[in-house]
Amino acid sequence: MDLAVKDLKRHLGRFLTTVIGVGLLFGTVMAMNGVYRGVVFEGISLIEALNPDLWVVERHRGGPFSEQSTLTEDFHYSVAAVPGVAQASPFITYPVEREIFGRSRRFTIIGYDVFGGLGGPTRLTAGRGINRAHYEAVAHKKLGVSLGEKLPLNHHQYTVVGLTDDITSPDDEPVLFLSLPDAQEVLFQRDNETVRNQRERLRRSLARNSVNSQEAARLLPALQSDTHTINAVLVKLAPGADGQKVARHIEDWLYFSVYTSGEEIDLMLRGRLAKARVQLLTFRIILLIVSMVILTLVIYTFTMEKIRSIAIMKLMGAANWVIVRLVLEQSLLLTLSSFIIGWLIIHNTQDLFPRKIFLTPLDEAITFGLALLGGLIASGLGIWQALKTQPALALGGH
Amino acid sequence: MEALKITGLSKIFGSGRLEVRALEDVSMAISPGDLVALMGPSGSGKTTLLLCVSLILEPTTGTVVFDGDTIYQDGWTGFDVRRLRREKIGFIFQSANLIPFLTARENVLFPQDLVGVKGEAAENRSHELLEYMEVAERADYLPALLSGGEQQRVAIARALANRPRLILADEPTASLDTARGKRVMDLLKKVARENQTAVIAVTHDARMIEGFDYVYHLKDGKLNNNI
Repeated sequence: MDLAVKDLKRHLGRFLTTVIGVGLLFGTVMAMNGVYRGVVFEGISLIEALNPDLWVVERHRGGPFSEQSTLTEDFHYSVAAVPGVAQASPFITYPVEREIFGRSRRFTIIGYDVFGGLGGPTRLTAGRGINRAHYEAVAHKKLGVSLGEKLPLNHHQYTVVGLTDDITSPDDEPVLFLSLPDAQEVLFQRDNETVRNQRERLRRSLARNSVNSQEAARLLPALQSDTHTINAVLVKLAPGADGQKVARHIEDWLYFSVYTSGEEIDLMLRGRLAKARVQLLTFRIILLIVSMVILTLVIYTFTMEKIRSIAIMKLMGAANWVIVRLVLEQSLLLTLSSFIIGWLIIHNTQDLFPRKIFLTPLDEAITFGLALLGGLIASGLGIWQALKTQPALALGGH
Repeated sequence: MEALKITGLSKIFGSGRLEVRALEDVSMAISPGDLVALMGPSGSGKTTLLLCVSLILEPTTGTVVFDGDTIYQDGWTGFDVRRLRREKIGFIFQSANLIPFLTARENVLFPQDLVGVKGEAAENRSHELLEYMEVAERADYLPALLSGGEQQRVAIARALANRPRLILADEPTASLDTARGKRVMDLLKKVARENQTAVIAVTHDARMIEGFDYVYHLKDGKLNNNI
């Protein structure tokens, strides 16, 4: 006779309510796992997708993602000349917030050498890549634009020629690919008033340094801020080239810092993502502990409610295994059902979250393992209580 | 051969100044089909005697011989007492003590399940007993939906499920009105006579012992001669 199932059937409403409650808790734990993994996944997805052999950035900077890095664009020619380098491409990336079709949107612009350079979109879901030097764009589908639409950025409009879905910024913002000069223009182009103010400031500065107005007018265009800057140079090594040797050469002779894609990922994990990771990991652990404690208490309460029935069974001569089976089976049913409910909830709602919920079988297996452990601990406590219950309790005494 | 023979049974709780002698040198012999009433004031040791006889409580000294087998002798027991209880002893309590999440039918099936009787044989036996106790029409009801008298009749059916050699009944009529109590006692008598089952019933109520073969009085743990 399956006592556990009979008991649960008799208290089906309470069992289902408990399973849904604990299931929601497990769903939250799995969501937290997913948020944690999602933050890490998004944080490094751009690096992993572009995946050049080397990232050349400003000296002593952990750029271009973990820290700001600024290089003069022309240096990519110097890098390309280093022995062992097959290709070196300029790369710029920066976040912007602009109004697109009446809606304020945050996204990240990536500028790259569209004529065969590194750093462009790696997978297109529609359309084509950029093949003109200006005014074409490839957008991530999360930006909500369609092929052929024209995006107004500063003074120009950029036609969406392709859509991609594999790269988001480290903050999970959609990416917009532009040609390098277009990306530089969008970043550095000022409005007329700002340009006028800047010129006036320079003119006053020159005047303070005894430069006459004629000379100042000649010098002013040359003193405007340089817009030919980039954040990194992406390097593809020649077949058989020693990456470490090439990196050392660039560092020693060109005075830049060089990282492999693996090192870039480490920089992100130890830098920009570190606090968020620790915070989420801590919250995830706390939530898991809370879930285990609640599950343990629920199972223990379920057992303790039956302690008099257990005493009756013992008085009637029920063997220990009958009682152990009752407690253990009920505990496993509760744990398993709750986990399945939680799993179903999170797997059916993960796309509704604003940021990526990245669910992995390993995390789910660990969560299930810990839930099971909690269930077993609770069963152990329940069984211990049940087995030490005196049959005389059934008589209301001793 | 006696169904139960106890000799010089004592049970002492605590020690030193806190020592309580719950039973003192109790002896009795009960044959199959005997109906024995145990009477006495509260705290006289009636329930303790039932617990010691069924080895739920281990006696301090004495001998318990059940169905010809010595199951306890002066601190020694060589018997699987749980097996003895599930196969040969039926219990009826003051309150019915049915397992609340099992229906009346399942409550009668449960002790049979414990001794490995399952399927049709168990179902037939349950039905037969519930009919015998006149609660067959309530077989699929949970205990909470049965009246006190119905619950107690199901409890008797449960106690009889494995055809026990001995039924221990601890104030089985205490929670019932006189008419229902009388009916339960009549059922116990019927069971004893028809199944040759020895019955020891604890009761406070002198009106309930009519027709019993032996009536013992316990006072301060000592057994007086039967009336």
